[in-house]
Amino acid sequence: MLFRSIASRLSLWVLAGSLVVLAIAGGLLFYLVSGEILRQAHGEATALAGEAGARIEQRLARVADTSRTLATAMATRSGDAEALLRDALARNTDLSGLAAAFVPAADNPPESPFVNRQDDGSLGWRDMRKDPKPYWEANWFRVGLHCAQGCWQRHFHSLSRRRELVNYSAVIQRDGQAIGLINADVSLDWLNLILGELRKPPGAYAFVLDEGGAYLAHDNPAMVGQRGDPALLRALAQPGTARVRLAIAQNPQAGGKPVWIYLFPVEGTHWSFGLAMPEAMIYAGVRQAFMRVLLLGLLALLAVAAITLLATRRTLAPLGTLATRAEQVARGALAFELPRARFPDEVGRLTHAFDRMRKELALHIAELTRNAKEQQRLASELDIAHQIQTALLPGEHYIDARCENFELRALLRPARAVGGDLYSYFMLGERRFCVMVGDVSDKGIPAALFMARTITLAKALAPRARSPQHLLAMLNLELCRHNENCMFVSLSCGMLDTSTGELVMSSAGHEPPVLCDADGARLLELETGAALGLDEDARYPARTLWLQPGQTLMLYTDGITEASDTDGQMFGVERLLACLRQAASCASAELADGLLAEVDRFAAGAAQADDITVLALNWHHALADGNAHMLDLTIEASMDEVFATLERCEASLRAQGVLPAVREDIRLVLEELMVNMVEHGRDDGLQHRIGLHLRRVEDAVVVELHHDGRPFDPLQAPAPNLTGDLADADVVGGLGIHLVRAMASELSYSHDEQGNHLLLRFLHPAPAESGHDIQPEH
Amino acid sequence: MTFSLNTESESPARTTLHLHGRLDAQTFNDFDRAMLDVLPRVAEGGTVVLDLSALEYISSAGLRSIAMVRKSMRARGGNTLLLNPQPQVRKVFDIVKAVPLHEVFANAAELDQYLDHMQRQITGAGPAGHA
Repeated sequence: MLFRSIASRLSLWVLAGSLVVLAIAGGLLFYLVSGEILRQAHGEATALAGEAGARIEQRLARVADTSRTLATAMATRSGDAEALLRDALARNTDLSGLAAAFVPAADNPPESPFVNRQDDGSLGWRDMRKDPKPYWEANWFRVGLHCAQGCWQRHFHSLSRRRELVNYSAVIQRDGQAIGLINADVSLDWLNLILGELRKPPGAYAFVLDEGGAYLAHDNPAMVGQRGDPALLRALAQPGTARVRLAIAQNPQAGGKPVWIYLFPVEGTHWSFGLAMPEAMIYAGVRQAFMRVLLLGLLALLAVAAITLLATRRTLAPLGTLATRAEQVARGALAFELPRARFPDEVGRLTHAFDRMRKELALHIAELTRNAKEQQRLASELDIAHQIQTALLPGEHYIDARCENFELRALLRPARAVGGDLYSYFMLGERRFCVMVGDVSDKGIPAALFMARTITLAKALAPRARSPQHLLAMLNLELCRHNENCMFVSLSCGMLDTSTGELVMSSAGHEPPVLCDADGARLLELETGAALGLDEDARYPARTLWLQPGQTLMLYTDGITEASDTDGQMFGVERLLACLRQAASCASAELADGLLAEVDRFAAGAAQADDITVLALNWHHALADGNAHMLDLTIEASMDEVFATLERCEASLRAQGVLPAVREDIRLVLEELMVNMVEHGRDDGLQHRIGLHLRRVEDAVVVELHHDGRPFDPLQAPAPNLTGDLADADVVGGLGIHLVRAMASELSYSHDEQGNHLLLRFLHPAPAESGHDIQPEH
Repeated sequence: MTFSLNTESESPARTTLHLHGRLDAQTFNDFDRAMLDVLPRVAEGGTVVLDLSALEYISSAGLRSIAMVRKSMRARGGNTLLLNPQPQVRKVFDIVKAVPLHEVFANAAELDQYLDHMQRQITGAGPAGHA
């Protein structure tokens, strides 16, 4: 939690960094200052040691003076030696005892008095001459005699007085002859007392080393008599050494820490005075001062850190709010208060930017929502469009009721919701069955609309079309109109005479059909015209073939041949043919479903790139010609032939039980049309032919008329000017065509390279129950 | 023989033609030729009655022939009246509006009544005109 806030982290870093800087600077400063401190301490301690040494010297000098004065006095007044001694001892409290020891000789006093200070302060007396051990043989006496100027003896332990003593010997000379010694005793306790009285810094201690390197006196009594530290002794051996550092203090009271020892030789003796200062004590002051500074620094740093913390928190407080708001934004909430930007600093800019971002985001989300709705709407529209497009295709069961001698299977699978592929099939009249498969350029909605246009036009135009090539030509003309986008559709169209198996195929730039039978599958090479919608003058050749019973015609779009697998390899015509050859039977459903399944296997895993359509038409067998087929003949275009044919038609219609009124209409229409054809045909001097096909369908009589003369569309002929009296007009014309148009229930005209084709339809009520032989004769 | 024509001239002012069979592209020439004989014999301002009772069928060729008769009669100040057209013929006449309806009569009685009326108008109007 502590480190999650930038402010606390920043202040902690400031604190830590300052601490490091402070510690390093302090350490460096301490190092630099400590040398100076040490020098200063050396000076002070040396002075102190000198002062203390001088004081000891002074005291010892008094002892020496007293001794030498007594020795001088003894040389002349040896008789009252004891009195002199007592007097001197009483006056000089430094002394512990005084002795006048004379060399045993005749002219020397017989007694050698020794006066000492008792424990109770009184003075004791004894004659050393009577001591059991003769003093004149003692070492101290003999050394003392040689000390003409007087000297300090080695200290010794007095058994009688139970204390450590040191004595000063001064020679008593008479006539240049040493006759004895004045021996002044000083107790080491006294020396210790002097040391103790010295003014010393706390923790320091003093000592006196004798000439042998042993402690004569020491602030720590336990050390008395011990030999000095070797390092100390080495320093002493070098004259002029004023100080020495002992890494480990000899004095146990110093606790084994390093000490500095300042030496001062005591004048008049061979002793050295030493003042020991623990090193820690030297630095103690400065260390303490540093510690205080550090402590203060630390406090200051803590204060700085606290201020940093506060300042940063205050500065970054909007940032925290922004962070919280950003989390809200992440959860999707956009309506909230933003902290007021007080300064145009980074935080202020961030706040402004955040505010703008939030607004933009809100707009963006609104737009996204709108887009999503729009998408949804589009998707639903596409769905409906898909249904509508599906409805444009013929129903699955269209065929079932219509023909027993062929079967058909058509499949269309758009790559998207709607597509540009199409197929259609329907009966044209009683016998002709029209199939078509097409593929609109491009994909998606434009293609779907164009497909709808194509399929609707095709259905509308087909009844007027005599042949697939004719249908394609009409369709092409219609599709070329207002086709600014230059969309086009490739279309394969076939018309099958279901009775005879005659199949006329025509293609507008479409994939060649495949014919399947027991012998295998092969491409039907068709000469094709341009795709529909591009060239108004395009011509579409036709090919006629006769289906054998059991043969299947396969129409498909490039969605089959150009289906790609994951490696980008195409299905191709070879695989198509191979797949159809392997089919067990030529049943249309099996072929179409099998082909689609094979394409799916091939393209497994790859996305479908194009719409796929496949249509299989399997013709079973020929049909016995039904009664409905009344007349099918071709005549020479001449008046006689025309009227003979009219008679035959009449007879045939009568035989079919067609009502007289309808018969008369048909006769009139046929007469008008055929006479027209004969008359038009005379213009070029060629022999023309007229084809007539007459058949009876459920509720009508259907007549087809073909004439190989020059194009003449009766539908386009202008209507005559009918005034109510034919005699009004100068030239009476167009009456025949007017009658034809009035009498035929349906009339369609087409023209192709084979000439004019007219399809007429005369409505006729359902056939009467009665036989035709009892129909009235006219 | 699909067409035949009988001419009956009751008076120079009135000639009745009986048409039989079909008047079509095959037969209209016969009719036209016959009319070339008949029409000149009809007096100025006379009336030609075409009896269509027996005419089974007419096509546009026949219509043109009848129109020519009417034109020729009109040029001579005469009338052409039609009597009793059969359903097919009547239908064709209706479609092309061949003749004014008041010149078509369903039977001979209507025709006679009409002709009498016309006659009275002419004879009645003459003295009145002279008076």
